[in-house]
Amino acid sequence: MTSTTQSTRNKLDRAFNPRSVAVVGDKQALGYMWLRSLSSFQGKVYSVQIDPSELPGISELGVENYLSLLDIPSPVDYVIAAVPRAVAPAIVADCIKKDVGGVCFFTSGFAETNTEEGIRLQQTITDMAREADLNLIGPNCVGLYNPEIGLRHTAAQAYGEKGSVGFIAQSGTHATLFSIIGERDGIKISKSVSYGNAVVLDSTDFLEYLADDDDTGIIGMYIEGVKDGRRFFDRLRKVASRKPVVIWKGGESEEGARATASHTGVLAESGIVWQTVIRQCGAIKVDSLKEMIDTVKALLYVKPINGTGMGLIAMSGGQSVVIADVFARTGLEIPLLTERSYQRLAAFFNIIGGSYRNPLDISSTFLMADDGASSLTSMLDILNQDPNIDCIVLELFPVIRPLSKDAETADPILDAISDFKERAKPFMIIVTTAHSDALATEMRDKLVERGIPSFSSFERAARTVKRLAEFYKSQRELSQN
Amino acid sequence: MPSKIISNALKSGRTVLTEVESKQLISGAGLPVIETKLAKTKSEAISVSKKMGFPVALKVVSPDIIHKSDSGGVKLGLGNAAQVGRAYTEVMAAAKKANPKAKVHGVSVQKMARPGVEVIMGMSKDDQFGPVLMFGLGGVFVEVLKDVAFRIVPLVRRDASQMIREIKGYPLLEGYRGQEPANITILEDMLLKLSDFIDKTPEIKELDINPILAYSDSAVAVDARVILETQI
Repeated sequence: MTSTTQSTRNKLDRAFNPRSVAVVGDKQALGYMWLRSLSSFQGKVYSVQIDPSELPGISELGVENYLSLLDIPSPVDYVIAAVPRAVAPAIVADCIKKDVGGVCFFTSGFAETNTEEGIRLQQTITDMAREADLNLIGPNCVGLYNPEIGLRHTAAQAYGEKGSVGFIAQSGTHATLFSIIGERDGIKISKSVSYGNAVVLDSTDFLEYLADDDDTGIIGMYIEGVKDGRRFFDRLRKVASRKPVVIWKGGESEEGARATASHTGVLAESGIVWQTVIRQCGAIKVDSLKEMIDTVKALLYVKPINGTGMGLIAMSGGQSVVIADVFARTGLEIPLLTERSYQRLAAFFNIIGGSYRNPLDISSTFLMADDGASSLTSMLDILNQDPNIDCIVLELFPVIRPLSKDAETADPILDAISDFKERAKPFMIIVTTAHSDALATEMRDKLVERGIPSFSSFERAARTVKRLAEFYKSQRELSQN
Repeated sequence: MPSKIISNALKSGRTVLTEVESKQLISGAGLPVIETKLAKTKSEAISVSKKMGFPVALKVVSPDIIHKSDSGGVKLGLGNAAQVGRAYTEVMAAAKKANPKAKVHGVSVQKMARPGVEVIMGMSKDDQFGPVLMFGLGGVFVEVLKDVAFRIVPLVRRDASQMIREIKGYPLLEGYRGQEPANITILEDMLLKLSDFIDKTPEIKELDINPILAYSDSAVAVDARVILETQI
């Protein structure tokens, strides 16, 4: 059972926070995607390319080109290699001589193709890197993302700001999509990595690295498999007791029938064992990118949920029925409020109409009235003070055009919601799509600008509440032991 | 002692332990096991039964017969010497019919345990994560309902406590509709002892203890099956 050594960690630190990056083999056919992605990079960018026909394109981007990594006059902290696979061993040799902090191989065509040549080349670069203690990331991946310093996988990713969410993904697509979709939802990345075939550095190494990274408060992982299950289990158990870890396990149905002679053996199939590992370590299990985003968003923006009593507010009678059905079906409670709450609600529901058991049903005209914001605040406060309620959920419906269009009407309501969120119990907003994707998106964006990311359906919100309530319960049990 | 049972079996080329051997192993691990004796002849079965007190159960003991009850190798609730004698003959005949080449050691005689909530504890090894313990409702329920929970070895108290409460049938353990409840602490202790034993005994590949009868003041393993690794 090996652990990440101090020297590996120091070098990985160099790679995650480089002052200089070299891209080997970027070319026109790729649209110079790597050099373009580094247009935001704060440090020095070098290109290494020996094909004369590529040189004008590289020069046009204003990047210095060298014929070899070893020709670069200053140290190189991080290398991105997009070379043909046959060249990979030569690049690894140069990286070792140059003593780089780390190298990511975008190059694919290794063991994942199950060809003799691919397997042999993968073994070669693995042996070379291990022997020399080189931080090889991948191959078949997009490597490191550090938005604060503008180190990116693609020019579509945000940069300039440091977030608090670390992301570790076997797949480059999921790493990239998580950051781009997450950004729109108020999720900002501290550091992220896609690690592909994991021949040298595996998810466990990155988990350890991000566990000790002060900028990272929450860790998300997309995993297809691990190299050393016991080591992963031991580290995850330690890390999850310090930082929330959300795990999306891909390929759960990978394993076929196994020869076994016991009931236990028949029942302990791989998917269930993974579920067990995640639960036993106190991490959170999700099953899709959407669930990953919802869960991380709730960890960031919704206060710890310490019970399952829901206080629901919907925008019409029909929606009230549906929201209650969905939350109840998910295993959450929708309790009656206290007598005192009903007395207080009666005082102003007489004026505005609607119904007030739980869910509370308010009409959209109510929000658009002159005193809409103060009525909303009163209603939210009643739920907030009710001892039967652990978490408050407010539906907003995009038919309320003023929320997106007219600042005069929208701002007081958004202010009221922001103020309430600060002082209240766990509070969550759902912007249902209703009839218009465009209006719903506009409204969601507006909320994100205010630091109140919303959830996009009753189902997604309910499942997120349920998942988080279970997580916080297990955290409480953990701290009692 | 455990190592001797294991090494004897491996020496004779067996990876499947008999019920009697399996029970000796888990008893050695500190788990409560119902008193079980091997009887090699009919008269021995009768005298052992008398000493234990009726009613008793008889089961065929053969490394070559794994599914004992499917092949008629189990007789339960035998109330007197005559019934034990007849059962012995029937069990032996059934064993011969099920597998004419089976090597039969005799029968196990055990006292019938009083009814309780039936649970299962088991272990199997995952390729990536190693030994995994299972807990669930036992008897035939495990086959039909698959209401089970798992934990990776080694377990801590919290794991044992959570996995018991995780199964859907947990209310049955709490004493549903006036039934005798199961003592959860005793079950937790058993899981922890089993975890400890598995951790120290890498020779074991798979294990089922099924059923364990759980009572308000105790619990007892009634049947067990241990399968060994062919090589360590």
